Amino acid sequence: MEERLYDLIFIARPATPEDEIKKVVTSIEHACTEKGGKIEKAEHWGTRKLAYKVAKHREGMYYYHQIRTNHGELITELERRLRVQDSVIKYMTIRLDEDLKRQKKLTDKREKRAARRPRRPAATPAAPAAPAPEQQAAAS
Amino acid sequence: MADEQKQGQEASAAAPRAEGAPSGAPSGAPSGGGHGGSHGGPGGGHSGPRREGGREGGPRREGGPGGGPGGPRRGKRQYFRKKKVCKFCVEKMDLIDYKRADILSQFVQERGKILPRRMTGVCARHQRWLGVAIKRARNIALLPFAGSAAGSTAPRAVEAQKS
Repeated sequence: MEERLYDLIFIARPATPEDEIKKVVTSIEHACTEKGGKIEKAEHWGTRKLAYKVAKHREGMYYYHQIRTNHGELITELERRLRVQDSVIKYMTIRLDEDLKRQKKLTDKREKRAARRPRRPAATPAAPAAPAPEQQAAAS
Repeated sequence: MADEQKQGQEASAAAPRAEGAPSGAPSGAPSGGGHGGSHGGPGGGHSGPRREGGREGGPRREGGPGGGPGGPRRGKRQYFRKKKVCKFCVEKMDLIDYKRADILSQFVQERGKILPRRMTGVCARHQRWLGVAIKRARNIALLPFAGSAAGSTAPRAVEAQKS
């Protein structure tokens, strides 16, 4: 399996003590080291207002991790662990690598096109003809 | 025609839209080049080639991401479309991040509904990605499913279901 990149966000109850959070984070890290995954980023977004009530809370502490792994079962394991914790009220894992691949492909295409572009206005003589291929290229 | 091509480019010309309303007379002529001058009373007459007919389905959609100038507003038929081009295409944003609730909330109504493309001027591809990002953000409580984006002000029945 090729390398996959995942976003893991979980929300903890608003007034959770520090050590509870530490427990959750360490269990995530342990699962990663056991199953073979690397934590690329770990952020704490602080206490944010939630857009709707979750578990009767209006605020929550957001934690964000970015995980790179070869094993898909790691995610199942992480979600299982998060589900067990009482302090975690919501979690979400998103797979990112396809999106990033597509973004990279588009950026590369755009840069290649930009490198080619200086030749175009010199090649096309009439003004109306120049916008048309530009717009077509922008649309593709 | 060169006229229409130029019109497609200067999509920022709001004049054609504005002065279409007062001129109630149905202008069937597609080429507004000649007749544009005579109707230039109320609206600004800065743009030479003015287009009055909204009947042309083809040229209006020219260009990939361009919203195109809107048709004439004729009272009942509210045809207003954002004259700007797709914001994401202009900024060359290839990835719409679901974590950026500030960007996403611009494309969401007061009540939390996703705004249609014709209101925001987003191109089709980015509208699809935008929808995906908004739905992800909703799942992680960065955006509401329903209700104001500022959060719950008054307890509503919808919110009780979410908890």
